[in-house]
Amino acid sequence: MKKKAKTLILSALAVATGAQALLAATVGVSWARFQEERWVTDEKALEERLEELGHRLLTADARGSSTRQAADIEGLLARGVDVLLVVGHDTQAVIPAVQRALDDGVPVIAYERQIKHPDVTYVGFDPVLVGRAQARALLEVQPDGNYVLIKGGQQDQYAHGTYQGQMDEIGPLVEDGTIDIIAEQWTTDWKPEVAQANMENIITAQGDRIDAVLCSNDGMASGVVAAMEQAGLVGLPLSGQDGDVAAVNRIARGSQTMTAWKDVRVLGRRAADLADAIAKGKDLASLPGATTFTDEELGIEQLAFPLDPTTITANNLELMIEAGWVTREQVCRGVPPGTAEICES
Amino acid sequence: MSWHDVLRTLDPRHKRLLALGASLVVIWVVFDLLSGGLFFSPRNFYNLAVQSSTVALLTVGMVLVIITRNIDLSVGSVLGLTGMVIAILQIEVFPAAAGWNWPLTLAIGLIAGTLIGLWQGFLVAYVGIPSFVVTLAGLLIFRGLTFEISQGQTFSPFQAGYRIFGGGQQGSLGEAASWIVGGVALVVLLGALARRLRSGEASLPFTLLGGLFASALTLFMIYQFNAYDRPRTDLGYGIPSPLLLLTLAATWIGLFVNRAPVGRHVYAVGQNLEAARLVGVPVRRVVLKVFALMGLLCAVGAVITTSRLNAGTTNLGTLLELNVIAAAVIGGASLDGGRGSILGGILGAFVIQSLDTGMVLIGVSSSLRQILIGFVLIGAVWVDRIAVRRS
Repeated sequence: MKKKAKTLILSALAVATGAQALLAATVGVSWARFQEERWVTDEKALEERLEELGHRLLTADARGSSTRQAADIEGLLARGVDVLLVVGHDTQAVIPAVQRALDDGVPVIAYERQIKHPDVTYVGFDPVLVGRAQARALLEVQPDGNYVLIKGGQQDQYAHGTYQGQMDEIGPLVEDGTIDIIAEQWTTDWKPEVAQANMENIITAQGDRIDAVLCSNDGMASGVVAAMEQAGLVGLPLSGQDGDVAAVNRIARGSQTMTAWKDVRVLGRRAADLADAIAKGKDLASLPGATTFTDEELGIEQLAFPLDPTTITANNLELMIEAGWVTREQVCRGVPPGTAEICES
Repeated sequence: MSWHDVLRTLDPRHKRLLALGASLVVIWVVFDLLSGGLFFSPRNFYNLAVQSSTVALLTVGMVLVIITRNIDLSVGSVLGLTGMVIAILQIEVFPAAAGWNWPLTLAIGLIAGTLIGLWQGFLVAYVGIPSFVVTLAGLLIFRGLTFEISQGQTFSPFQAGYRIFGGGQQGSLGEAASWIVGGVALVVLLGALARRLRSGEASLPFTLLGGLFASALTLFMIYQFNAYDRPRTDLGYGIPSPLLLLTLAATWIGLFVNRAPVGRHVYAVGQNLEAARLVGVPVRRVVLKVFALMGLLCAVGAVITTSRLNAGTTNLGTLLELNVIAAAVIGGASLDGGRGSILGGILGAFVIQSLDTGMVLIGVSSSLRQILIGFVLIGAVWVDRIAVRRS
């Protein structure tokens, strides 16, 4: 009965909007943990672009649980999605559920977090590229000396990817003794207050020897800055990622060096376009930007669309304002005159 | 009189407090040796005090909740929500330049916390829903609300005046005031001990041991806080504001519990609900008040945490309830109700944080830290069981 109604509505739409709606697809997305600043933006971009293309979006939020995510995916399949986007909470544990979708003939796109499966297409800001961008930006201002690493949640593959990218850049320098990693800590669930306590304790242990803090995201960077302020360490090179409003403000103030900005609207639109291409029966591998990710250990080759993050420093804050990500007022809130060029005038 | 005899004359409650104090000292000394003298550095003591204060403050409330044979699983979420309410009002809604901004948002936050506590207390005491259920629901509801009102955003920075509560650059007493406050605290403390000795509540050995330990600890801590210099000055930080808030709250609540009828009621409710009702204890009102207090303390904890981080984030306080319950249990609170100690809970919070901080100092990974703290939790209750069976 319901199915019939759906078909009726669809054909009515087809008549109304022409040929495109004939290919209207239902796209499902399974979020890992929706309650973070960025995913709201992802969903909006995804939904807007899909609507533009005449498709429909269904969502489910696993709230940080692998079991719930498996159930969510089954639920989305039961609701008849044609394409499935998955942000894996645990990218290993989600594979059986993903396999079920593939077995049902539903193509799966791993969104933002790579799921290592030969039949899954990956689209996202590659955490390895993020980690490299962070390390490169810090090396530019602090090419040698004592580095502290504040890493993300240890259970999170994404945190390991970022770490791997950071080490790609600084690893060789550590080996030849240019850089010394004097302390490193994983941070439970990427929590800022945990990063703050860890940083305070690291400062106690290492004191003034710290030359730079390679921090994996902006939330934790806020904890690191608070810890450094208390100890009177100002203006140390510090990295982040996400382009949080608070972080952009810190960059203008000079208390954070960079943030690896992932314009997630670009990602959302990109994923929507891929879903659209699948619905229209196009060959993804022939699309621009396609590449192959190879995991030699697992013997897996998969189609991937990696996106490069933008390195935001005090010199190009304008970019984010132009993109409508933040307002000038937010960037310059409380910035003392003479600190940042962008906030003068 | 040998040591053994002295120990035997001690009340089990007092023995537990002394044992906790002793384990704290042992932990400190061990970590100091392992870290090459870092643990006893002024900076570490300052950080330790600030890092422990929020959990310790919430533990004060949690101990009372547990004594009445209830539990509160929602403290982390309530802290997160009240913190977010304060952050949004102060940073987004009210004018940034207004002097009345932060005091008003502070007051609203404290009221919001109390109202949430009253709501949960009402459901537990008057509607009769088990506290486990009410506060489990609260954990979900208030975390969800936090996200709804913030849309996942982080709010920062707070007004300068608000930052006095966080124990950072603006948040400490300075050297002179610290000695004065410390002196007053010592006089109050020793006075209380002496009163207990006269009334026969405390034995002479406990008074001597406890008094000695407390005085030494207080003087040592203040010495350390003053020795930790503000950046680029030789002025000491002094007592950090979160510790001061903790001390004031614990003293005030402790006075009520030990001196006012409502304190005896709290224990009576937990020991034997029916008996308490029969002798005319206003059981429902007692439980309501305890939950309201818990809500208020969550709000105070939110003020400390947000002021310290200088940001309101959506995951502020997640999993905090577990640390708080662990601290209460290590401090001797019994989940069967009727038994628990405020001072013990505070010491429990310091034990957990000392272990965590010490392990970071010597570079232990976070997963190993979790494992050890888990074992300490079991160990503390195990030792306690043995002690209870013996006496």
